[in-house]
Amino acid sequence: MAVQEKIVSREFKEYIREPNPDIGLDETIKRLTPEKIEKTIKAVLGGRSARIKAVLDTCIHCGLCAEACHWYLSNDKDPTYAPVAKMRMTIWEMLKREGKVDAEFIKQCARIVFTECNICHRCSMYCPYGLDIAFIIGMVRRVCFLLGVMPQRQMDQDQAHIITLNQVWYSQNDWLDTIQWQEEEAGADFKNLRIPIDKEGAEVMWLPLGAEPKTGTYHVERTAKIMLAAGVDWTVPGKDVWDSSNMPMFVRDFATMLRIVRGLYENASRLRVKKMILTE
Amino acid sequence: MEFLASATLYNILRGPLVWVAFLIFIGGSSYRAYKVINQAKKEKVILPFISIKATLLSLLHWLIPFGSRRWRLKPVVTIMTFLFHIGLVFTPIFLLSHNILWYESWGITWWTLSENTADIMTIIVIFTCIFFFLRRTFAPEVRFVTFSSDYILLTISFLPFFTGFLAYHQWLIPHKAMLNLHILFGEIMLIAIPFTRLFHMIYFFLTRSWMSSNFALWHTKDW
Repeated sequence: MAVQEKIVSREFKEYIREPNPDIGLDETIKRLTPEKIEKTIKAVLGGRSARIKAVLDTCIHCGLCAEACHWYLSNDKDPTYAPVAKMRMTIWEMLKREGKVDAEFIKQCARIVFTECNICHRCSMYCPYGLDIAFIIGMVRRVCFLLGVMPQRQMDQDQAHIITLNQVWYSQNDWLDTIQWQEEEAGADFKNLRIPIDKEGAEVMWLPLGAEPKTGTYHVERTAKIMLAAGVDWTVPGKDVWDSSNMPMFVRDFATMLRIVRGLYENASRLRVKKMILTE
Repeated sequence: MEFLASATLYNILRGPLVWVAFLIFIGGSSYRAYKVINQAKKEKVILPFISIKATLLSLLHWLIPFGSRRWRLKPVVTIMTFLFHIGLVFTPIFLLSHNILWYESWGITWWTLSENTADIMTIIVIFTCIFFFLRRTFAPEVRFVTFSSDYILLTISFLPFFTGFLAYHQWLIPHKAMLNLHILFGEIMLIAIPFTRLFHMIYFFLTRSWMSSNFALWHTKDW
C-alpha cells in the first residue's frame, strides 16, 4: 500500500495530520456551496447567544486549558490539539471571515470538532474563567451537522435515531421479540422471572442503551435477574422510545434530541412510574 | 515635548478626561454587564441552572492562590498571575499620590500604601508583564492562539505602570511630560476595559458562575 502524504492545513501551518479517509467528510463536502455555508454559519452563530458571547469576549488566549485535554497530552503537547486552538481553528475563523469559508475549511472544522474533541468539559475545569469551551465545540458540530458534514458512523447513528428513535435500527417488533426471548432464556435459570412490558404503576422503568438488546442481549437477561433478586417492581416500555442513548446529542441534532427525551418522559408518564433507570 | 510637559495638557488630562474615563469605565462596564445578564435572562436556559452556593465556592477556590488544581499544576504561572493582578488592581487604588488627588478634588481619603511598597508592587507588575510577553511569544500553546490584539491588551496594562514608575523616579524624560503620559495611558486603560477583552474583570464572575453551577449539577467541582 502506498504511503499517503500527511495533510497540512492551508490556514494553519502547524496543523499536520495523518490522512483519515471518511466518506462522511470527503464526499459530503462536494454538495456544499459558499452560500449554503455562509447561511448555516450565520443561522447558528450569527445572533450570538449569551453563552457564545461570554466565551468569545472573555478568553484571554492564555493557553492554560491545554493541559486539560487528553488529545493535547497524548500527542506530545502539539499546540494544535489544545482546546483553545480548536476554537481558534474553527469558530474564531468562521466569525472573523463572517461565514465566508469554503467546503475544504468545513471539512477541516468537522475533523477537529468530531474526531479531535470528545466534549468532556475537562478544559472548563482548567480554564481560570471556567469558559464553556465544549459548548462552543458543540455549536461548531451543529454547523457541520446542518451542512451534513460529519463522520459516517455518527451520521448513521443520527439517522437511525431520526427514523427508528433508537441507534440500532430496531423496529418495535424487534424490541419486543428480544425482550420476550431474553425472558425465556433467563427463565431457565430463575423461577418466576418476568420482564414486565408496559406494566402500569410500576416503581421503576428500565431504559437500556440501543446496543444492549441488539449486540449485548445478555444484558437484558442479567438486568432481569438483578431486578428479581433485588425485588424491584419494574417494567420496560413496549412502545417507542426505549433507547436512552440519544446519539443525536453528539452531532447537536436538536430536533431529534428533543423527540427522544420527550418520548422517554411520555413513556414514563403513560406508565406512571416513579423512577427511570438508564444504562450507562 | 514642550506640549507634552505643558500645563494645558495636564489640565485637560487631569480635568475633563478623568471624568470621561471614569464615566466610560463605570457606565460602559455596568451597561455591558447588564446587557449580557439581561440576554441570559431572556434565553431562559441559563439562570434556572445557576447555583449561588457553587458559584461562591468556585470563586473562593479560584481567587485563592493554589486553591484550584490548575493553579497547583503551574506554580510559576500562578504566582505571576496573582502578583500581576494584585498589583494591577490595588496599586492604583491605594497609591498615596492618587489618594492626594482624590483629597484635593473631593476631600475624601482612605488607606494608602507606603511609597516603597507601592514602588515594589509597580516593579512587580512591570516584570510580570514582561513574563507574560515572553510566555506569549515562546510557549507554543500560547503562541498558536496569539493575535496582535493580545499584545495590544498587554501593552495597555503595561504602559500606565511603566510610565508611573518612571515619573515617580523622574527618569528618562522631564517629570511633567512623563506624568502627563502616565495619566493619559491610565485613562486609555480605563476606557479600554468595557470595549475589549479586559472586560474579563467582570465576565470572570459570570462565566465562573455558569460553569460551577453546571459542574454542581453533574456532582463534581470545577477547581
